[in-house]
Amino acid sequence: MPGGRRAERLAPYVLVAPAVLIIVVLRLWPLLLGVNFSFTGDGARNGIAVGLDNYRELLDDPLFRTALRNVGLLVLLLPVAVAIPGLLATFIYFRVPGHRLFRGVYFFPAVLSPVIVGAIFNLLLAFDGPANAVLGGLGIGPIDWLGDPDVAIFAVVGVHVWATFGMGLVVFLAGFATLDSALVDAARVDGASLAQTIWHVIVPGLSRTIQFVFVTTMIGLLTSMFGLLYIMTSGGPEGSTYLPEYYIWIQQGQMNRPALASAASTALFLIMLVVGLLQVSLLRRAGRED
Amino acid sequence: MKQRALWTAALIAALALAGCGSASDSNSSSGASDGKLVVWDWKSGDATAASYIEKAKADFAKKHPGVKVEFVAQPFEQYYTLLGAAIQSGKGPDVMLFNGGGQIRDRVDALLPLDQYVGDDKQRLAGWDAFTKDGKTYAAPVTLQGHPIYYNKSLYKKAGLDPERPAANWNEFVANCATIATKTGAKCFAQGNKEGIGIQFFLSGLGSGVLTPQEYDDWIAGKRNWASPNVKRVFALWKEVNDKGLNNDGANSTAMFNDAFAVFQSAKAAHVIGLMSDIGHWKDFAEFLNAENVGVMTSPVVTAGATPSLPYDGGIGYAVAKWTKDPKVAADLVRSLTSTEALKAFYADAGAIAADTTIDVSSAGPAVATIVSETKDGKPALHVALSSKTVELMGRLSQQLLSGSVTVDKAVEELAKSDQAS
Repeated sequence: MPGGRRAERLAPYVLVAPAVLIIVVLRLWPLLLGVNFSFTGDGARNGIAVGLDNYRELLDDPLFRTALRNVGLLVLLLPVAVAIPGLLATFIYFRVPGHRLFRGVYFFPAVLSPVIVGAIFNLLLAFDGPANAVLGGLGIGPIDWLGDPDVAIFAVVGVHVWATFGMGLVVFLAGFATLDSALVDAARVDGASLAQTIWHVIVPGLSRTIQFVFVTTMIGLLTSMFGLLYIMTSGGPEGSTYLPEYYIWIQQGQMNRPALASAASTALFLIMLVVGLLQVSLLRRAGRED
Repeated sequence: MKQRALWTAALIAALALAGCGSASDSNSSSGASDGKLVVWDWKSGDATAASYIEKAKADFAKKHPGVKVEFVAQPFEQYYTLLGAAIQSGKGPDVMLFNGGGQIRDRVDALLPLDQYVGDDKQRLAGWDAFTKDGKTYAAPVTLQGHPIYYNKSLYKKAGLDPERPAANWNEFVANCATIATKTGAKCFAQGNKEGIGIQFFLSGLGSGVLTPQEYDDWIAGKRNWASPNVKRVFALWKEVNDKGLNNDGANSTAMFNDAFAVFQSAKAAHVIGLMSDIGHWKDFAEFLNAENVGVMTSPVVTAGATPSLPYDGGIGYAVAKWTKDPKVAADLVRSLTSTEALKAFYADAGAIAADTTIDVSSAGPAVATIVSETKDGKPALHVALSSKTVELMGRLSQQLLSGSVTVDKAVEELAKSDQAS
């Protein structure tokens, strides 16, 4: 029965065909179109091949350079964004007074949409808002949180961390559940300080959890800041809080430069590809350790 | 058994393909099939625009009873992004709403010149220039948008100033502000430059008091002399006003929409350069300050020889896409959307200065009456003449001017470069 055997041979291909088709038609093909589009011009040169002109323009654009610099800054701030939920989870693990309450309270902001969080902090951080009123009460001059180009990016990242650290916290708490409490007790009996316990017992014990939180926090920082930026600073002041995503949106939607936006998207895609591959190798290595 | 598995797989694949197919099909529905026009805008979903749309539809139905009109309201933040995608694919609405100035001029490649259809409306409607490029008209104006300087008459009264006689020159204006500040504690200007919009309003609001009439007309005509001392003066004045403490604190972190307007509405500032239509205008302010307390003034004279006028343009207007099947019918819809009856409803409900100058506005308070009377001598706004790229750059530079990280000379030089490149 040769016909039956051929059908048998083809069956696996047919079975994976829907998934492959969806990926090829809806993901890879548009991606290629986008990359191809980034080599064409805008406006009067619409549809005409312009080589690397768009990429040259990107590199010349101080706004895009700022956006890339801010990506670097986010990567540098990543340890802080991971340390905060880690430390707080440690305190909850050590059952500080009120730890049950904190567990719920810390997670709460994670369920708010960035738009709502942004609007809340717009009010709190306004020049004549409560944050500056408190500082004034302490005798410290007002800080223009969202109007000072040196401060604004940190204000936005700070708010993003505040809004999202609940997720990391939950992952850390899950990690703590697998931590052998005998090790912590032994450290205590040996007279280790809190800092020593964290450094020598908890960090090594939770290395896989920490790596996982690193990866997810990084993804969060690089891909979901748009809403906050849009609401809190609109890329300002002085363009200091631009990120590539926001830049792409401005070029496509406000400046009517779709081809330039495609070039910026391709650049962002390459960055994310590198970051993603690093993360995959990190996770793979972490998996091999056990 | 195996046979059945194969068939199931084939069925799934076929369904998946069919799914893809139908998804791409639905996009082409708006390509002006016979007897149907699709309109894109960001207004028709508002309750305040309901009677306007209804009147326009009724007017159109009289002319073309067989043609169905479908209004699709897009969210404004996404509007030009969606429109850009539609234009890119060469498929989209037949008629679409545009902001005047850069937003429509950047996209005229996709639009149909309307001159042969709207000739009869040229006299009745004002604000055509904002929808014109290279001598061709691409949209018919619905509203007028401009930047009157609003002032709070009750603060003037409290400070012992004559509310009916605002300052005619800059020194007098600054002196009035000083009086108001000492007597009432209110700042001179409500200023919001978080989005870089403050400078646009400032440039247009006070520009006619700084530039000579010749310089002003040249600017609008595209012959912008950035080396002129008066052009530099506008940007120096922008910095000076902030340095002297005439603005509310933290202008760079105050959003024009709507925090700066809130400062004016709560009487914490005596003046604001606002809008004529949609938002931040006479109707909004009157709700908080009462219509009789909202005054409108033209720019005080900053440099001798300037003749202040109201800066305004066509605000929003409807255009026709190049790919529409029957341009005449689509143009007729645009004409219905700008008919006197429809615009009257728009003015009354939505709080907009309609492009139709024959509408009677005397019942809406002194501010509107002043604005409408000033439209006769008004000129196009300075910032609207700039490309969107230059306007964006100006926003960033204006923030740097306030924070002191760029000099006026350097800022003007960069603007000149950007303006000449576009």
